[in-house]
Amino acid sequence: MEILIEPRAARTQPSGVEPGYPQTEMRWPSQPLQRRPLTASELSGPQQVLRRLKPLRGDLAGHGEKRAIGQLIHLRARIVDEDGAPVCGAAVEIWHCNAAGKYIHPNDTHDAPVDPNFYGAARMIANEAGLIELRTIKPGAYPVPGEGRWWRPPHVHFSVWGRVWLSRLVTQMFFPGEPLNELDAVLNAVRDTAARSRCIARLLPATEGSDNALVYEYQLVVRGRRAAPGMP
Amino acid sequence: MKRLIPTAEMTLGPFFPREFGQGANDLTPARGDAIEITGRVVQLDGAPLDNVILEIWQADAAGRFDNPDFPGWGRAATDASGIYSFKTIRPGAVPGRAPHINFLILYSGLMRQLQTVMFFANANDPVLNAVQPASLRERLIAKGRGNTYVFDIRLRGEGETPFFGD
Repeated sequence: MEILIEPRAARTQPSGVEPGYPQTEMRWPSQPLQRRPLTASELSGPQQVLRRLKPLRGDLAGHGEKRAIGQLIHLRARIVDEDGAPVCGAAVEIWHCNAAGKYIHPNDTHDAPVDPNFYGAARMIANEAGLIELRTIKPGAYPVPGEGRWWRPPHVHFSVWGRVWLSRLVTQMFFPGEPLNELDAVLNAVRDTAARSRCIARLLPATEGSDNALVYEYQLVVRGRRAAPGMP
Repeated sequence: MKRLIPTAEMTLGPFFPREFGQGANDLTPARGDAIEITGRVVQLDGAPLDNVILEIWQADAAGRFDNPDFPGWGRAATDASGIYSFKTIRPGAVPGRAPHINFLILYSGLMRQLQTVMFFANANDPVLNAVQPASLRERLIAKGRGNTYVFDIRLRGEGETPFFGD
């Protein structure tokens, strides 16, 4: 399958340096990004990533005495390309903090409690419909270390492989109705209102799903479309 | 057919699980010349960066990308000194391209992934030759010592690595 990759509209992506996020001024390149011709190298894919990265933990919430603290949720995420076609077999890495806003990570110095029954990292494979469904708990908000009064809203990190090298997507998913969403320097770095709202999951009616969990639906669109769509 | 707009990228953040960053930086054994690629990742003030995630994508020794015996993909994380390393094989020349290794960099404070490419000495390549001004091209050429190649990455500031956009 031949894949086309075209430049994205700048307003639908963060620009690089963000005034409310001091580290960006230390790390984002000062020079304009270079243009390059695209060849077989950028337009082929690591399709065999999963030979190196094995699936891990499809359920972060646990059961019974091992149940993690927090509201039970199901994250129903769909991976599609720019044609809307599901990326069957896509590898998806997901990580998020516990219900108190604490990550299992040596860099997390926040004094929120660790939940012994919660380990917030999973790796899953999208099915034929491009879907993954993760049973977990809703993450909490937390203050950004050293950044004064900036609290991150509840969010879930995603790392996704699409069809080709340039389809790689690392992003964050947000929850609807969170007051901290309006103030977040990461979410609001996306200037286009519609593009920003697509980073917020949709809460499905409470009758959806088993397990008496809240179900959140989310779509991740990876770069790339098939050459000459509609042609036989 | 309606085109969908690619999802906005966002920063990896400081809490990328350690287990995800480790265990995928050795692409050997594979047919070809074994090489090691190593380098230091630094920011504006020259400070080395800990736990930067680097991913590579490369052809096999014959210049093929679809070799079922060689995944061509790897991932490494820098240590507290900002040093990363990959064990792999020297890629062959893809038709129309000089041997090269694609890099992407993910990190806290990088709002999007950064893309660059590592080349070997004396490369004549359309992507390398697209870098402007031409004086920057040498920054994309790894320094070889035996089978070890050093490819340092400066995200911002003097000696900044050239990165590629959309």
